Amino acid sequence: MMASVVANGNRDGQSLVLKGVDPETCMIVFKNHWAQVVKILEKHDPLRSSSALPSLSVINLTASSSGSSRFGPIPGDEASAVQNYVEHMLFLLMEEESGQAGAMGPILEFVVMENVMERLFVWSLRREFTDDMKLEQLKMYEMLVGQARQPLLHHKPILRPLMMLLSSCSSTTAPAVEAELVLLLNQLCYVLAKDPSILELFFHTSEDQGATNFLIFSLLIPFIHREGTVGQQARDALLLIMSLSAENERVAKHIAENTFFCPVLATGLSGLYSSLPTKLEVPNEEWHCLHKEDWLQMPSLIQFLNSLEFCNAVIQVAHPDIRDQLVSYIYNGFLVPVLAPALHKLTLEEVMTTTAYLDLFLRSVTEPALLQTFLSFILLHRHENVHILDTLVSRINTPFQLGIVSLALFRTLIGLYCEDVMLQLVLRYLIPCNHMMLSQRRVVRERDCYSASAAKILALTPSCCSPDRSPPPLRQLDSILFSKGGETPDNSGNTEEKKSFSEENDGSGNSCTIGSEIYLDVSYLHYLYDARLSINSCIRACQVWSAPYDGEDPPPEKYQPGVLEEPGLTSRQPQMALKKAQRPFALQAGSCVPPGTDPLPVNQLELEWDDSYDACPVQTADASAERGPPQPPPAEPPKHIQEMRRTARMLVKGSYIEENDFQDDVMVYDLIAKKDSGDVERTSKPSGSQTEETKPGSAEVPLKNGLNLTVPSPAMVDNSSNSLDAKANGQTDCNANLQNTTAVELGDDLLAQYEELIRTLDHEAGGKPVKADGEVKKPITPVEVVVVEEDEMDFASFSAETPEPEKLHSPFGTINRFRSGSATKNNSLPFTGPFISVLLSRLENMLSNSLHVNLLLTGILAQLAAYPQPLLRSFLLNTNLVFQPTVRSLYQVLAIVKNQIEELAASKKDFTELITAAQHWLMAREPSFIETDKSGGSSGSNHQEGGRILKNSPPPKPKAISLERTEVFATVLFTEFLKELAAIAQEHSILSYIPMEE
Amino acid sequence: MNLNPFWSMSANTSRKQRSDNEEQSGHGEQRASPARMPFGRKQLPPIPKNAAPITKPSPLGTPIQSANGTHASYGPFYLEYSLLAEFTLVIKQKLPGIYVQPSHKSALMWFGVIFIRHGLYQDGVFKFTVYIPDNYPDGECPKLVFDIPVFHPLVDPVSGELDVRRAFTKWRRNHNHIWQVLMYARTVFYKINTTDPLNPEAAVLYEKDVQLFKSKVVDSVKLCNSHLFDQPKIDDPYAISFSPWNPAVHEEAKERMFTYKRRPEDHHKVSQASGLSWVKPGSTQPFSKEDNPPQS
Repeated sequence: MMASVVANGNRDGQSLVLKGVDPETCMIVFKNHWAQVVKILEKHDPLRSSSALPSLSVINLTASSSGSSRFGPIPGDEASAVQNYVEHMLFLLMEEESGQAGAMGPILEFVVMENVMERLFVWSLRREFTDDMKLEQLKMYEMLVGQARQPLLHHKPILRPLMMLLSSCSSTTAPAVEAELVLLLNQLCYVLAKDPSILELFFHTSEDQGATNFLIFSLLIPFIHREGTVGQQARDALLLIMSLSAENERVAKHIAENTFFCPVLATGLSGLYSSLPTKLEVPNEEWHCLHKEDWLQMPSLIQFLNSLEFCNAVIQVAHPDIRDQLVSYIYNGFLVPVLAPALHKLTLEEVMTTTAYLDLFLRSVTEPALLQTFLSFILLHRHENVHILDTLVSRINTPFQLGIVSLALFRTLIGLYCEDVMLQLVLRYLIPCNHMMLSQRRVVRERDCYSASAAKILALTPSCCSPDRSPPPLRQLDSILFSKGGETPDNSGNTEEKKSFSEENDGSGNSCTIGSEIYLDVSYLHYLYDARLSINSCIRACQVWSAPYDGEDPPPEKYQPGVLEEPGLTSRQPQMALKKAQRPFALQAGSCVPPGTDPLPVNQLELEWDDSYDACPVQTADASAERGPPQPPPAEPPKHIQEMRRTARMLVKGSYIEENDFQDDVMVYDLIAKKDSGDVERTSKPSGSQTEETKPGSAEVPLKNGLNLTVPSPAMVDNSSNSLDAKANGQTDCNANLQNTTAVELGDDLLAQYEELIRTLDHEAGGKPVKADGEVKKPITPVEVVVVEEDEMDFASFSAETPEPEKLHSPFGTINRFRSGSATKNNSLPFTGPFISVLLSRLENMLSNSLHVNLLLTGILAQLAAYPQPLLRSFLLNTNLVFQPTVRSLYQVLAIVKNQIEELAASKKDFTELITAAQHWLMAREPSFIETDKSGGSSGSNHQEGGRILKNSPPPKPKAISLERTEVFATVLFTEFLKELAAIAQEHSILSYIPMEE
Repeated sequence: MNLNPFWSMSANTSRKQRSDNEEQSGHGEQRASPARMPFGRKQLPPIPKNAAPITKPSPLGTPIQSANGTHASYGPFYLEYSLLAEFTLVIKQKLPGIYVQPSHKSALMWFGVIFIRHGLYQDGVFKFTVYIPDNYPDGECPKLVFDIPVFHPLVDPVSGELDVRRAFTKWRRNHNHIWQVLMYARTVFYKINTTDPLNPEAAVLYEKDVQLFKSKVVDSVKLCNSHLFDQPKIDDPYAISFSPWNPAVHEEAKERMFTYKRRPEDHHKVSQASGLSWVKPGSTQPFSKEDNPPQS
């Protein structure tokens, strides 16, 4: 075909030939060719045989596609003759240099005068306007735009047919045409980026057609979420326009007000999210977050991350209006309607998967504005009237994978050095200083000059783990020379050194050696070093914080908890963005009308919005009453995306075809808005408005996200053999359930606790045996019915009674007692917050935690301890601070664990041997761990817990020890954790007091 | 006087930043705050009884007793960090005219120099060494020994040791800090005390013949300053040594000292990248900042 010849032919040969030819000859040749072409063109012109130009505005584009039949076919030889002429003409045009002082070259002038391009375009419309034809034309322009030596796009007679071509191509779905279209658009964007003056022309050209639009941009939108090269090119091109928008108010305004860009981008995230696996295959027990090597195996996740990364990039470069709008759409169109329900799904695995996704997203996002959106969603959004944050915190105490993944999420959150996060998690509970005795407030800022706290922490080292007890390879002892003068580390050298000091110092007997004869645990030096790095980076990061949190600022007396307003975002967003932002949500709501109500017939305009944005399966009461955990609907990712694309494209396309009902984007919006308002009206009755509180616990709860579940009455629970499925409360925290059993004396063994729990549940549920067997991973989910009520009760009961010490010490804590706001409500009651509480109760349970849980747990606590804020530092590390009796300190919990270990060591004869084996095991693990960590690389934390254990150790002889022996591993870890904390405490005593200019 | 311009200049700049008021307020603060420390530590058991797990009846006293061995093996770390903490306190105090630096060999030995800017000992530049007992902070008070015995009632004419002990009869942890010793060494040259002198001759002269005392002091200052460029008495990489002004070496350092103050701000800007905050100053609400995301 012609275009392919043009595109792939020997361009270089041609240009070589042309180089020698003088411009006049070229002009003559060009005119000759054109004369031949015009002959053929006019012969087939249906309207007139004169030379008058057909006016494009008269020609109907869609009519033209069927036009060929109207005037009879054009003979093939004539068509190919035109092609040949055009091919040559294009080369001549391309190769022409611009005239003097930037004037048009003669050929270009001729092209403009004779309206060559437009007539050629009309000619192709006259023929069958097939995909092949489009392809040809696209390639032709791609070549012209990319290779012409003079600027062509400034001229309307060239630009206009180009725009016509583009808009006519928008309706095709042929991959080849799409690829070529995007390539051309991409090139146009590069030209635009280089020469923004063309921008105005693009707008004007559109205006000629009666629409205010920015065609290039709109055409790119449908490809935003496309995978592969096409998608990448489209996103690159869009980013170029985004950076243009930062400087050009008009572009920004147009994109924000007249295009679908932000909603498509944000809801596209929702669509892509819905195609992610709802349950992840967990490779092993150790697994706690999605590393790069994990998600590289998942194409759907790669695609989602690509789009998220694109959002991130847009927010980085785009005009603030666009940025704010996009951020707001992501909040209202993805996080709230999709991610929030997904975080409250019905099975542990699903919730665990969502949590892992959220963690990954937080680690992927770098732009502060986008991060802020995610964080304010986590901190402020309420789902089912409970803050997401509280739900997430409570899940830390969940056994199995969910707990581990939740811990990993919090490790990420804490590693952000974000004041808002730390304020909500910990600091707000410490600001009033209620957790300590009144007389102790001044101690908060005191420095520990003599490492007294470090000494007390290290003194908790279990006797079985004292460095002297370890056999040589593990006992990484070395002589640490505090007096650095001697080169030789042996004792004789040191004593000489000492003597020389004494001699020099006039015999006054000044000893200047510090413990040079003592062999010390070398690993402690590494801990000190790591602590120094960690605290330093933390101090530096926290310089942007609003207050020092030192017990004086913010002032404890003035602390007003206040009510957390949901989207702090919206108050800040421009009115326009706000208005628009609500739309996708409305669409959202519209798409998930509770099945009970009769959905209205689909709008006559067929402006359907894709359901795929809702990741939540629409479930009927029937479905939930069946059996087992509800199955998610068969995933149809490709179809969903396809659908979304189609819809988006349809809407976008509509605006450029004049005979269509949609003259421009605005009109489309209006139509959609009307449809939305209809939907909202429909949906508002059963589900209420999003922001209004819904009352959980009623029998029929139409959930906001479109889930319509029936809460089984106790009778129903009896009926269903296994009541795992139906839950009104999307929150499936098992700790809430376990709370029921807090009064029960629980053994060390987790499984035993479970059995106990299930028995309790069984009892409450009506005596019928619950078939939880065989599903070891799911016994967590029962008893939701009970939980709903429990949750309701908690606020009141908490404020009424002072928590008793026993409760605080129950292995699974009493987290759910401390629901959001409960602590702040009871301002006077000493409480350090649910997060600290849950961390400490998990820590107390250290001996029965798996190794990986303990690694994460101690990692989080160490990171918390590295924060320089005196309130936090004194709470975690100052062992001299006197707390209120009801407040548990980290030190107390450590002491409890130490006692447990001592008891254990006394009762088991082989304990010391086991510890040695565990130490060997951990050392053998270390190299591989570092390896994977490097290759993974995605983890935000540089304080990888494993990495700090037993560093620089010689290769050990591994002995067999089962990971089941959690108490043994926990003992080893505990000892290391003490060192880590002590090192942090010691470094704090120095670093926090060095003036910042250091 | 061959006091070189480099040192006098740097001394002047440092004087600008500090006032005597500052020292005093710092002193008072330091004295006030640590008073309750031992009280808090001794009075309360490490684990409040009601917080102990009921199921674990093991004796509460054990942790501390049983781990004494471990505790001891970390002793050198505690000592090292205590001294580092003392050193950061000295930095924080910004004592006028006093510079110290721990030796390379041992944190227990600090090198120092003191510049006397007015009074009888005006223009004196006295190098000294501080020796800290290895059982710090529980031992005796640190020693301060001048390299050259200055003619002064409280300085031993043979060893050069300053009588510090009279000011710190008993060294009390948390109350006494090494910067106070340095402060004392400075004060001694402005307020002459003659009771129980280590150098009776100086004491008697000061009482009986101030003129002769003054001329002896001037001689002593001259002697000290004439030895300023001598090799340090103790061979240590971190020992303080003086050299005549050499533009090739010192000019650049001087430049840096004067431009130093501007640097923290640049540094600040760079470091802002890592932390995040949308909390409005004065508010305790997350995302309370009115403005748009901070990076624009």
